[in-house]
Parts: sequence; structure tokens; C-alpha cells
Amino acid sequence: MSIVTVQLGQCGNQIGFEVFDALFNDSHCPGGLCSKRENEAYQASCKERFFSEEENGVPVARAVLVDMERKVISQTLSKAARSGRWKYGQHSCFCQKQGSGNNWAYGYSVHGPRHKESIMNLIQKEVEKCDSLSGFFIIMSMAGGTGSGLGAFVTQNLQDQYSSALKMNHIIWPYGTGEVIVQNYNSILTLSHLYRSSDALLVHENDAVHKICAKLMNIKQISFCDINQVLAHQLGSVFQPTYSREGSFHYRRNPLGDLMENLVPHPEFKMLGVRNIPQMSENSLAYSTFTWAGLLKHLRQMLISNAKMEEGIDWQVRPPLSGLPPLGKMSVNKETHFNTSIANLVILRGKDVHSADVGAFKDPALYTSWLEPVHAFNVWKTQRAFRKYEKSAALVSNSQSLVKPLDMIVGKAWNMFASRAYLHQYTKFGIEEEDFLDSFTLLEQVIASYCNL
Amino acid sequence: MGRRRRRQPDPADAARALPEAIAALSRTLPAAPSPEIFRRAKFDRPEAAPALWRLLFHVLSPLSADSASVSFTLEAQVRWVKSVLHSQGYPRLALVQLQDDGSQGGRELLLALAWLLARGPLPERLLTQSHVRLGDEMPVCECEALASPGPPAPRVEAEGSVDIRHLQWLMGKLQLRWRNLMAGQQEQCALLGKNPWQRIFCSTRLSWNLSGLQLLLLCGTCPPADLPAPQTQIHSYTRGCHSDRSLGHLSVTETELLRDPEGGRQLLQRLETENARLEAALEWRHRELVFWRWMDTVLDTCPLEASPPTFLPRIPEPGAGAAGLPVRELQALQEELQALQEELRKAVEARRAAWQAAVGGHGPEWRAARRALQVAVAQDLAALQWAWEQGKGQARPHGPRRLVRTEARVPGRLGLWATEATEALRAREACLEAMLHQLQGQCRQELARLVGVRPGLIWVPPPAR
Repeated sequence: MSIVTVQLGQCGNQIGFEVFDALFNDSHCPGGLCSKRENEAYQASCKERFFSEEENGVPVARAVLVDMERKVISQTLSKAARSGRWKYGQHSCFCQKQGSGNNWAYGYSVHGPRHKESIMNLIQKEVEKCDSLSGFFIIMSMAGGTGSGLGAFVTQNLQDQYSSALKMNHIIWPYGTGEVIVQNYNSILTLSHLYRSSDALLVHENDAVHKICAKLMNIKQISFCDINQVLAHQLGSVFQPTYSREGSFHYRRNPLGDLMENLVPHPEFKMLGVRNIPQMSENSLAYSTFTWAGLLKHLRQMLISNAKMEEGIDWQVRPPLSGLPPLGKMSVNKETHFNTSIANLVILRGKDVHSADVGAFKDPALYTSWLEPVHAFNVWKTQRAFRKYEKSAALVSNSQSLVKPLDMIVGKAWNMFASRAYLHQYTKFGIEEEDFLDSFTLLEQVIASYCNL
Repeated sequence: MGRRRRRQPDPADAARALPEAIAALSRTLPAAPSPEIFRRAKFDRPEAAPALWRLLFHVLSPLSADSASVSFTLEAQVRWVKSVLHSQGYPRLALVQLQDDGSQGGRELLLALAWLLARGPLPERLLTQSHVRLGDEMPVCECEALASPGPPAPRVEAEGSVDIRHLQWLMGKLQLRWRNLMAGQQEQCALLGKNPWQRIFCSTRLSWNLSGLQLLLLCGTCPPADLPAPQTQIHSYTRGCHSDRSLGHLSVTETELLRDPEGGRQLLQRLETENARLEAALEWRHRELVFWRWMDTVLDTCPLEASPPTFLPRIPEPGAGAAGLPVRELQALQEELQALQEELRKAVEARRAAWQAAVGGHGPEWRAARRALQVAVAQDLAALQWAWEQGKGQARPHGPRRLVRTEARVPGRLGLWATEATEALRAREACLEAMLHQLQGQCRQELARLVGVRPGLIWVPPPAR
């Protein structure tokens, strides 16, 4: 079953390119530590999901590129075509000459309705190319104007037009000390609108990924390209094929559907985070060996101490003793707090994967009281290694880890709102104070729900 | 010629007849225990009871045997069986009084089983349910799905209250699974239209996976209007291949049988088990008289019930078979219906008189409103009448039908055009959706009423979909 990707804005398009590149390169990686037949099945599965076939045999990404400026899209198209191995469809992009000025309201109320038909037509064409549609993967940033405002508009329209298809929005959480002054307004408006029309929000924080680049990858001058490549690596390790069942060697047909069913069935809890281990520069890879036990131990501690990478993990954080409630209700001010999960999905790739023991993740203390580990925890496996990593593990979790960043953004936005700063930029284009208040209410509710786990 | 000497019945034959009859019954029912268990049950031995409880569960449950048994404890199965038997009118109180842990009551269970067997052609009905289907099928109605509500989901025994978040989680999971199934179903339709030889393995794998909920699902969704109607190219490619002239072409399953030897072997195995059960059913029909005589003895060994037992195992006339039973049942039903109608009429008259006495003498605007109501009700009734008459014309068939691509002008004796069936299903879907909207509106009104009750309270509704 196929996934149609919608790349929105500068951020969305740059990341989208890196994601397709990573997926393609991984699936055509020689070796992969498995038999030729297995490799071919893996390739075919990846191809069906993300690429379609064109006459001259070059795979075409199942994607629609949307931006209000030409520059980034043309760069993306040419980068893809230059590789010669895969490309974007010639007619799959939509751009204009005028940007959105980082104004959410402009993207949502002006660009959206004006270009709705063209954009939805492009998406429709891409959907028709699929034998079966698993769902949509929408890549956007939260803080800008096009990605966030137009992204919210497009997601809403997808909800109306394809109500039975699944939608996952991949959201880039801006730097805490970001450059855009109204990024907090844009963020809360985006999140509240997406919470209503999307099924899952997969979040990557710029701050966290930046640290990974600095500490783990040892990159001196970190550019957006480096950040995007790390992101793409993490997403690839989630979306590449895995076996459908324990003991089966057939690849899962609907990963998006299965992922959502396991992680986000509850309408109030839709925020997902990704962690990946090991993550390092390819030069160091050759000198490292790993065991499943070591990887899983680190991954588990990353989860419960809310660390985003395997360096600097706080090993003091422990799960609460069974039977006792966690030490007080979660307060967003406390530094070291145990990160309670609602549901977790661990994805293992590589050698001897069937011997990996995930028992530690089934500890009820990790989870909230109303969901048992048998329902809350799932593991997907494949023998086929991901890129050059002999063993790698990814964790997609629905947990409290995003509460603190969310609370911070809501707080800052509220302070600005209380003093009516920059509001005229939004009311000018039809976003009233009512809409802001609705957004605040919804997000406060989300924060409260997560805190009360 | 001489008189032919009558053969004396061999006593050894008589001794063998009963176990053979019971063995035949065992082979035809799903998950049935051995004849030895039956014998022990007559003497109320404890080891017989759990096996018989499980047998009754499988017999009464509409799901296939393997999936149902895994998720239910014996206790849950016992409780469910009791409730179903009670709702079907089983008269013996002793069964209801048996312990929930399923450790006793072999004899009562035997009587219950005999009661079920006597009421109707039970083995035949079960065989129809688990019939191996070889054709591409489409249901034309949802009677099967509605008539037998399955066992309830295994309950989570909570000491106190259940956390509503858990319920919301489960509800959401169900909705997502529904959407995933719809996507799978659309994929199957699309694949039937594409080049079949390369993709056929996907579609048959899907159909095995979807078989459980396929009936319910298909009832609500036919191929959406925006996709081109499935060309069923397999049907046109394989024209002339089928040995059955009236069908003319192969179905997806049959084509898969030819392509994939492993799948073919599995299908063959399933057909062989089904054949074995069919043969056992035939054998049972020949031998059941012996069983009924034995059941008489079982009933005799039971202690007398405080209330007179209103049930005796019926011995069907050999040869009359099942023909006599429906007639008798229909008569009984008719009498019941008449009695109910009489009761209803009396109740309505009494109610109406009381109401008129209570409200009579109101102003003209009230009378006008009443007249408007009467007109509306008359319109509704007329619409119902018309709708029923429309449907009466065609002999509406039930159950799933095999899809056949044909050049014939007129469908065969029992056939109907797929478009007609699709129309009927669409009409039903529209009807159900209207009902759903109405119920949702009622819920919203109720919520609004509740909101108004407590003035000091602020209600924050969940984010709307």
C-alpha cells in the first residue's frame, strides 16, 4: 500500500528530498546482511510504498511539492534529478512567486483558498497512481508561514476529501531561540488546527537534532542539510519495511495504518516522538560493534529520562515502584521527571534480530495505569540491516516527552497574546482573537491530559 | 421361490449403533468431544462438563471455531452459553443454576444439545456457515450479520470503575482498524481490475485476512464512484476454462489454486475436511434414531424438576426429515403473532382513550398541531408501504452470491444483476446513515440539555472531528 507525501514550504521540501534519498539509498544498499531474495522483497516493498514506476524505469517519488516561492522547489527537483537514480514527477509541484511572510494567517486564509483547487488536483493525480492508498505523510514546519498555515489548510482539506485515508503530519518544532518573532503564534495555531484534522503528529525538535549533529556526528558547522539528513535517517528507520508478524518473512503491507492503530487511537493523545540508536557519522561506524542488549538498554533509558540521544543520558531516572503512583503529578518545572508513556513501538533492524529481548519495554511501570503493556507495546523486526548499521533500533513513542516544549510555547504565545502584540497581522487576514482562544483552550487541554497520565 | 427368512437383528450391532451414531455427530459438529465424553456426561461425570460447555459455545457462536476459543475463558463461555440458551427459550432451569466454573452438569448439557439438535437442522446450518467458498463473492443483504450477534468482547474485570480513557483508546483502535480494512478492501477491488497475473497473490492473501469482517464491511462500502468499475479481467481472461458451463470462467481463488501449489494444497485440505464433515452429517442423519432413544434414557435419569419440564426430545419421522418441522413452527409463530397483535390493539386503545381524556379541550392551535402530526404519520406509513411494495416484487435472495461475468441477457434462475444488488446495498447504507445522524442529533440535544442543568460549570467539549 502506498503513502503519498506532501512537502510543504521550504522546510518540508528540503526534508522531503532527504527522506526519499535516504529511503532509496537504503533499499538499494548492496549487502544488507541478508539473502538476495530477501533484499529484493525489501526493495519491492519500499518501492511500492514510496515510488512509482515511469516508462524509462527511473522511479518517481510519490510526492507533491508545494511552496509559495520557486527557489527551493527548483533546487529540490534538480538535486533529485542529478542523482539519476530517482526523481520527482515533472508535474507534481505547485509554486507561486510570492511568499507568505511567516504569517500563518496569510498561508491559511489567503494562499489556501486561492490555490486549493490546484493543490488538491495535484494530490488527486498522485493518489490515482496508487493501487491502494495507505495514507498521507505531510512534512511541514510549525513556525513559518507557508508550511504551517498552508499546511494546516491542506490537512483540513485532505480530511474532508479523503476522510477514510490516514494522515500523519511530520512537524518540525522550531528552535527555542528561533528567528521568527511570531513563531509561537504560528505554532499554536498550527498545532490546534492539526489536532482536529490529523490522525498523528510526528514531531522532530530542531534543538534536539542540532545536538545530535554536534555531539554524535561531530559536525563542526551544522547546516540545515546535516539536520535534515539526520531527520531522514530517523524517519527511514521507522518507515522502511518490517515483517508483518512474529515468525513471518513477509513484509508488512500497511505500516502507516499499523503504526497509528498501535500508537494514536485516542483522540486526545496524538503527539509522537522518534528516537534512534545508534546514530553516528559513517566514519565511526566501521569501528563500532553493538549488542542488542546494550542498544535496547540505552534506548529504554532514553525513553524514561526523556533523552533524545545516547550521550548524556541521565541514568538516575528510574521507573516508579509498582503499586505506588509516580512521585507526585508531573510538574513542568521539575527537571528530572520520569517520562510516562502511553504506547511505544520499537523497530529493530539487522543481524540476529530475532534474539533481541525487548522484555524491559514491557514493564508496566513505564506505562500509564489505564493501558497494559500487552496493548501498549509493540515490536517490529526485520533481518535486513538499515543503511550501513549492522544493528539499529528505532523507538516511536506516544509519551509525555513533548509536554514541556509544548507548555513553553503556549506560555510564550500567551504572554504575547495578553499584550496583543502583532495580533493585527493575523486579524487582517481573518484569524480573530476567538481562534487564538480556541487554540489555547485545546492545547491546554492536551497538556493537562498528558500531565495526568 | 420360498419365503425369505427375516434376518434376526444381531445384538452386537445394536451395541455398536449408539457409539457410531454419536461418533458421526462428533465428526460433523465443530470441536466436538469423543463419544466417551457423551457417555460420561449421561452419568454426570465431572470431566465431561467442560468439553460439553465448549461444544455448546462453538455451536451457538457464529464465529469460526479457532478464533473464538482463544480469547474466552471457560467461565466467560459458560455465561455466554447460558444467556444465549435463555434468550432462545430453553426451558430447563437446572442449566441456569449450574456453576459458572463449568465443572458440573454434563447431563444437563447433553439435554441442551439435544434440544438444539431437535429444534432445527443444526449440523447442516453449521456446515453452511463454515462452507469453503470458491467463487468471488458479494453479499446482497446483511441478514446473517444481524441475526446472530456474536459473543461479547472478553471483559476486563476491574475491581472498581473502568477508566474511560481505556474505552476511548479501544474505540479509537476499532475505528482505525475499520479504516485500514476499508483501504484493504479498496486495494482488493483495484487489484481485480489491474493485470491479475502479477498481483493476484496480494488479493488472495488479503481475502483470507479480511474474511472475518468482510461481510459487515462490504455491506457498507461498494467500490467508490470515483474509481472505475473493476474490470474483473481475470473473469475475461479465463473464459471457457471452467468445467461448470453455467459459470464459464474462473474466480480469483480458483486461479490462485492453479498458480500456487502451496495455496492449492491448503485449499484442498480445507475442502477435504469439509467433505469429511459432510459425510459425517449424512451418516448422522441415518443413525440419529438410536441417539434419540438414548436421550430418552438420559432424560429418565434426571431428577424431576419442580416445574414440569416443557420439553421432550422429539423423534423425527424417518423420511419426513426436516420438512414437517417448519410447518409446525410457522403455525406456532402465527398463533403467537395473532395473540401479540390483539394485546397491542388493546393496549393502544386504552392508551389513546386515557390520553384524549387527559388533553381534550385544548385550543385550536393545539388541534392544528395534532392534525399536522397525523398527516406526517400518515405520510411516513405511506412511504413505508410503498417501499415495502417496491421490494416485494423481486424475490429478495439472501446471503453472499458468487460473481459471474456473463454475456447472457437475463440472469439465471437464482441470479440477479450485481448492479441491482449494489443499488439495494446503497439504499440500505443511506438509510443507516440517516438513522446514525438522527441518533447523533439526539445525543447532542441531550448533551446540550445536560450543559444547561448546571449553570456554574464550564464544559469543554473534546476537539470536534
